Amino acid sequence: MVTMSRRSAMAASLGFAATSVLSRPYIANAAATTATVWQVQGFFPEEDAAFRKVVADYEKASGNKIDYSIMPFMALNQKSVSALTSGDVPDLIFHDAPETILPQFAWNDTLLDVSDVVDVQKSKLSPTALDCASYYNSVKKARSFYLCPIKQACEPFHIWGDLVEKAGFKLSDAPKTWDAFWDFFKPMQKPLRDKGMRKIYALGLQVTTVGPNDGNNLFAAFMIANGGKDIVTKDGKLHTDDPKIREAMIKSITWMAAAYTGGFVPPEALSWNDADDNNAFHEKLFVIDFDGTLSTELAMFKDKKAYLEEMVTMGLPNGNDGKPVPALVGTGGGFIPKGSKNAEVAKEYMKYFMQPEVMNANLKEGLGRWVPAIPSIVKDDPFWLDPKDPHRPPYVQEAVLGPTIPSYNAFNPAWGQVQAEQLWTQSVADIVKNGMTAQAATDKAFKRAEAIFAKFTFG
Amino acid sequence: MSLALAPGRRPGRPRYRLRRAVVETLCLALGFVLVIWSLMPVYNMVLIALSEHGAVFSGDIWPHAPSLESFVVVWTQGFWYLEHFWRQFGNSFFVGLMTMFLTLLIGSLTSFTIGRLRLRHGWLLTNAALLTYVIPASFLAIPFYRIMQGYGLGDNPWSVIAAMVTFATPYAIFIFQQYGKSIPMELDESARIDGASPLQIYVWIYLPLMAPALVAVGTYALLLAWNEYLYQFLLLSSPDVMTVPVALAQFLNSDESPWNYMMATAIVYAVPPIVMYYGFRRYMAAGLTMGGVKG
Amino acid sequence: MSSTAQQALAVSRSFVASRPAHRAWHGGLLGTEFAWAIAFAIPYAAVFCAFVVYPVAYGLWLGSKPALYTELFSDPRFLNAVLNTVLYVGIGVNLKMALAFLLSGFFMRKRWWVKSLLVIYILPWAVPALPAFMSIHWLLNGQWGFLNSALWMLFGIDGPIWLNSHWLGLGANIGSYIWKNMPFWTVIFIAGRMAIPQELYEAADMDGATGLRRFRYVTLPLLAQLYLVSTLLSTIWSLGDFNAVFFVSGGGPAMSTEVLATLGIRYAFTIGDPRLGVACVMCALPLLLPMVVLLMHKLRTQEVQL
Repeated sequence: MVTMSRRSAMAASLGFAATSVLSRPYIANAAATTATVWQVQGFFPEEDAAFRKVVADYEKASGNKIDYSIMPFMALNQKSVSALTSGDVPDLIFHDAPETILPQFAWNDTLLDVSDVVDVQKSKLSPTALDCASYYNSVKKARSFYLCPIKQACEPFHIWGDLVEKAGFKLSDAPKTWDAFWDFFKPMQKPLRDKGMRKIYALGLQVTTVGPNDGNNLFAAFMIANGGKDIVTKDGKLHTDDPKIREAMIKSITWMAAAYTGGFVPPEALSWNDADDNNAFHEKLFVIDFDGTLSTELAMFKDKKAYLEEMVTMGLPNGNDGKPVPALVGTGGGFIPKGSKNAEVAKEYMKYFMQPEVMNANLKEGLGRWVPAIPSIVKDDPFWLDPKDPHRPPYVQEAVLGPTIPSYNAFNPAWGQVQAEQLWTQSVADIVKNGMTAQAATDKAFKRAEAIFAKFTFG
Repeated sequence: MSLALAPGRRPGRPRYRLRRAVVETLCLALGFVLVIWSLMPVYNMVLIALSEHGAVFSGDIWPHAPSLESFVVVWTQGFWYLEHFWRQFGNSFFVGLMTMFLTLLIGSLTSFTIGRLRLRHGWLLTNAALLTYVIPASFLAIPFYRIMQGYGLGDNPWSVIAAMVTFATPYAIFIFQQYGKSIPMELDESARIDGASPLQIYVWIYLPLMAPALVAVGTYALLLAWNEYLYQFLLLSSPDVMTVPVALAQFLNSDESPWNYMMATAIVYAVPPIVMYYGFRRYMAAGLTMGGVKG
Repeated sequence: MSSTAQQALAVSRSFVASRPAHRAWHGGLLGTEFAWAIAFAIPYAAVFCAFVVYPVAYGLWLGSKPALYTELFSDPRFLNAVLNTVLYVGIGVNLKMALAFLLSGFFMRKRWWVKSLLVIYILPWAVPALPAFMSIHWLLNGQWGFLNSALWMLFGIDGPIWLNSHWLGLGANIGSYIWKNMPFWTVIFIAGRMAIPQELYEAADMDGATGLRRFRYVTLPLLAQLYLVSTLLSTIWSLGDFNAVFFVSGGGPAMSTEVLATLGIRYAFTIGDPRLGVACVMCALPLLLPMVVLLMHKLRTQEVQL
């Protein structure tokens, strides 16, 4: 195996010679006070407008310049990976859902420590947001802040209230514990089909292994409801050897598999992509869906009847043991790559952005799809719990005021790989497609998860 | 093997007439299958584009209450993802045409000098060109990002053109080399005896005779640049240099996009390359006749 | 992996060097002609130096750490992906090329409707890949998709849930790949057929060769080289092409239709580990390098023939 060092590979190449002859400075006319920012595009134009406003206000306040480009998340992911791998980086990357790539970046020591920025608002930020902002650096062998949190999101239930009534049920009768809450919807399938909705199903349960996100989020919610919240802990350890975790896993996948084989879930759900459940839900092809943020409702914003009267948003019922369960929360914000030429401006900009009033204005203008990482904001501003909007208050209640825990990605980069392998919903597929027992499927998934976690050792 | 039959008039004897009728029927059947095969996914796109809410799972096989709204939206740039649509359309044209032109120019010059002028050790260059394909293009994104920044081409359409020409040219060279085999060398030699310079031979003999290959490879290069999205993501970032594929990818940003607008955009965007191929196809026949007369 | 690449290249180089030297010189270029020849070669040489050498060297370097391969082999999806890649590329490319070759003959027919059909036929090639493959993903939906609705309404057949089955899913990916790429290769073969001098067919006619025999003795020998080179190139390209699998089956059900390219893209851009991603596609090198060497050989022998 000839292992070329990076330097020799470059020196050996004519192309590199050409590069150095032709190359110009990265930003030829950059003043020292201009920061380059890559910003993820929102779901709605209002989100982008809100971002532009933050930039304009910051520029006016500081005299610095923000040179930004707004791009779709696929492009942002790809560009971020390319930039951080090759070393040609922007000064700040702002990502709504950075938890898939950020843990690996921090692990590889390619990010700048932003503790000094986070510290300014540390007392006000939610503990969950703080956990979501800290990652383990395997070079420095320490955990530190690598993300400046702005917003957070979780998964609420989306329900067609009109279908529930059409089937002859009342949502207020819905049980308060997890499995029973789901089971409540199952008997609606038959009356609705009898009333001419031939292709309807009760549950939009995304037992998909295609994803990339829906199946993983669904599984985590089931685990938490079954008492398996501590499958990964903050020290980065996986607790598959804990009998309680094992039991939770077996219960979760057994229930999901039974709902599937019982015919309450569209069979295609095994191979849905993340958009498929949303598309089907909008066509009223099932009664209940469990999916991230309020985008499902906001996409119907223009259809006043659907938005105000037919759709219902609900937070989490209690766990199967009757106790309240935390919602799994992801956090979005800015991170600064190592090698940033104007890191100081980037930090100052994030400090500006993280002030409660700036954060609040930005998220409100973005239609409230994301909730603030500083919980006091939703108490101080009536917008967030305004009962005139049928969806926002229950969502804010779940994502900010109720109990929350950080998405496991923050604890160990291994979780991202486990998710990318769709290990958990794979075990549901093992039961319904390959005829495995829940125990065997659990053993298989746990064994693989342990192997992945073994690659990441914390010193 | 009736497929391989070149058309030609046959004597009108009954056996041949029957045979021709059978062949014709088979051809029509094949044509029918091809239409279904080619159009089914496109038809589904049209169905989605015509539905008012971008319903993907309507279960209809005919448009139910078809609405041209999505095409109007694309045309008038009436949706925020599409607010620079025509500008981006123009950018796509620029990138596509430049890629096509440079690929054909560089590819034909190279194959001419190696195949016709027989440049000593020229094969080294064509063999080396194959290295381009040793690592798939989508996995060369990172070094490409880096060198384009190094060359000062960040956020510049020329960086996309350069990348696309890099990936298209080796292919162009191979096809031209293969194709050039069928052009008799005597043509060059007689022209040379008449005192023509290599440049004249290239322009007046080589290029016209290569017309079918130029059209095919040119369309290839155009469509490569027209529909490629990874490199356009990577290398372009501001709205006024972006191309339509980048705009299309915005729809994937959300699980809740108006898919009818996305499909309408894709359909509108597919029209120019087809028109161009069909337009240029006439020149292929011209090249053929010339070859027939001179060869 | 890179050492394998280098060995193979070294082999091909020594192979080349052993040729009698005079052959390379047999053009006998005069001074000015030689200058022209050099000038004509400069543009591509420049492109090669500026845009090929560094990226390819960098790519090989990215995937050069042996530890990456141990990691890959420990991934249970990996071996399955190798197998799928072989099936996907092997069936997809060969079926596509054979059909494209036959259909190019069909499209040579001088009927007006055949010419118009060509416009429809090349449509898949012109439609942007992303929306087209998403459309296929949706039309294959077992409950609410267009295909099963059409099958039900037209023939009363209840179609399967296409993407829930490993084999149907793989078939859907291969079909989508063929659907998207076949028009292009057909166009290439149409160009190839147009280059066959009409006199050859006339001569064959005079010898009484018709139909199958004309195909066997005129068309096939003249297009065999083009067919071979095209197949090799198409194979090389499709090894790295992730679009069809990524958007049609998405690797499902249960990760059973994943190929090396999609696995690599997931490693590189979903979890931010580009080295593992590059290593993943470089696992196709043992398959790819012989083809590259064969292609190099083809190009060289062709020069000798001329």
